[in-house]
Amino acid sequence: MRHPTEGVLRRLLDEPAGVADADRQHVADCQHCLDALVATRSDAALVGAALATDADAGVDLDDAWQQLTTAGPAPRPERAATPARPARWRGALSRPAAAALAVGVVLAGAGTAAANDWLQIFSTERITAVPLSTADLVALPNLSAYGTLNVTAQPDVHEVPNAAVAAADTGLAVPEVVRLPRGVSGDPAYQVGGKASATFTFSARKAAQAAAEAGASLPAPPAGVDGSSVRLAAGPGVAEVWKSATGVPALVVGRAVAPTAYSSGAPFEVLRDYLLSLPGLPDKVAEQLRTFTADGSTLPLPVPADQVSTRQDSVNGTPATVLETKDRTLAAVMWVNDGKVTVVAGSLSTGEVLKIARELQ
Amino acid sequence: MDPVRATTAVLAAPEVATGAAGRDERQVAVSGAVRADLEVIFRRDYRQVVAVAARVLGSRDQAEDVAQETFLAFSRSTVPAEDATGWLCVAAAHTALNLLRSGRRRASREETAAAVHPVVSDVAEAVVTLEERSRVRAALATLPRNQAVALVLRHSGLSYADVAAALDLSPGSVGTTVRRAESALRKELNRHASSD
Repeated sequence: MRHPTEGVLRRLLDEPAGVADADRQHVADCQHCLDALVATRSDAALVGAALATDADAGVDLDDAWQQLTTAGPAPRPERAATPARPARWRGALSRPAAAALAVGVVLAGAGTAAANDWLQIFSTERITAVPLSTADLVALPNLSAYGTLNVTAQPDVHEVPNAAVAAADTGLAVPEVVRLPRGVSGDPAYQVGGKASATFTFSARKAAQAAAEAGASLPAPPAGVDGSSVRLAAGPGVAEVWKSATGVPALVVGRAVAPTAYSSGAPFEVLRDYLLSLPGLPDKVAEQLRTFTADGSTLPLPVPADQVSTRQDSVNGTPATVLETKDRTLAAVMWVNDGKVTVVAGSLSTGEVLKIARELQ
Repeated sequence: MDPVRATTAVLAAPEVATGAAGRDERQVAVSGAVRADLEVIFRRDYRQVVAVAARVLGSRDQAEDVAQETFLAFSRSTVPAEDATGWLCVAAAHTALNLLRSGRRRASREETAAAVHPVVSDVAEAVVTLEERSRVRAALATLPRNQAVALVLRHSGLSYADVAAALDLSPGSVGTTVRRAESALRKELNRHASSD
């Protein structure tokens, strides 16, 4: 079989469910394509980072509406360009709201929105790292192919002037770093995000369609699963960011209310296990996920095993997961305590992030 | 003729009573020929439209200006409500790219962009400097227009199907278009890095 095109590889990163099963399988088994995928992801991440903005976070809608409807300098109409032709549109949101800010700092390193979709169906009491290869990650299906994902609250991430305001806005105890590591100095910038929530409603019809597109048939849903909804919630959260002289974040300390899931239909475990059985999810990953506690109290943390190493440690008696990129440029430690996830990450060694974590006040 | 400009000329034509002497054009737009659904769509989509423009311009102030202009154009249009979000996002991207390309940006804008504080949501962002952000945005202006718009829409969270519908592409070619744009921008960054 010939290699999938560069466009197919690019879509694998964003919408793996939109790529034919045969192409996914080819990529998983083909070193040439995996190498190309790594380069594709690297370029996508770099450009995405360069274009990233939270400019919409501070928008005052009432003020903006007022501006549109009241006097102001008349703009030149020709400056407002228009699309070549109005086209049919579905909902523009295909991804859930950003998950807890602090979690995102590390998790998004996995480079796959699809993985994050899956994460949010688990409530979190303890974090367990699931080593995944790149091929596993890109094979994870996007939940939106199996139902309706309705974002009900955006986190509205914005910067606040100090820790006191951050604490007031989020209701969280803002972690205080006792001693900064060598090479990091000054005061941090404080970013806060409110609660993000979304509802996923499983649709047997859509799932069957997705399965058919993948060349498979849909396993019969257990009673009550069709139409079942899971309410996903994450946040609020706060992050303290120390930047180096070049503007690169040198140290990030974040804390957020851990993601939770509430099922309004079939029991959560039933829905979860059924989701895990759907076509598109590699058997190995499904097996790993099934080993987690039946009450959904563990957050499986997919990390790209070819780029990040993980191990278990502890922070003041609480089990913690330590992550380090294999080139040793970034390290992070994260743990969950009392329903809140805390992360310390930076261009540091694992020893340094653990030391900071254990000294947090 | 640029099909975008051609379409603009058609849509900007007589749907609004622009002949009301002495009245502000914007007031005319929203009070004379106002769409009944304008406020609902504005409140639903304004933030997203600002975000699209901000990805191109790196400045919230300029992005809000673009969003205002885009909604003004929309208020004069007969675009069906169900098509509004896509129409607005594409229009904002084109308008912002026009602004970027026209060279009207002030040199200080990148400093303004720095004050916007991009959200640190990905480890990969840690390796992007402000200078690189500036170079990527400058390079955006030199890309084929469809590539630039597809790239901005995709990174604004629109699905492949939505981008395809907006740009009249097949869903299968969206990945190729976005990939080529990202590859070109990466090369631009590497070119600067190797010449430093």
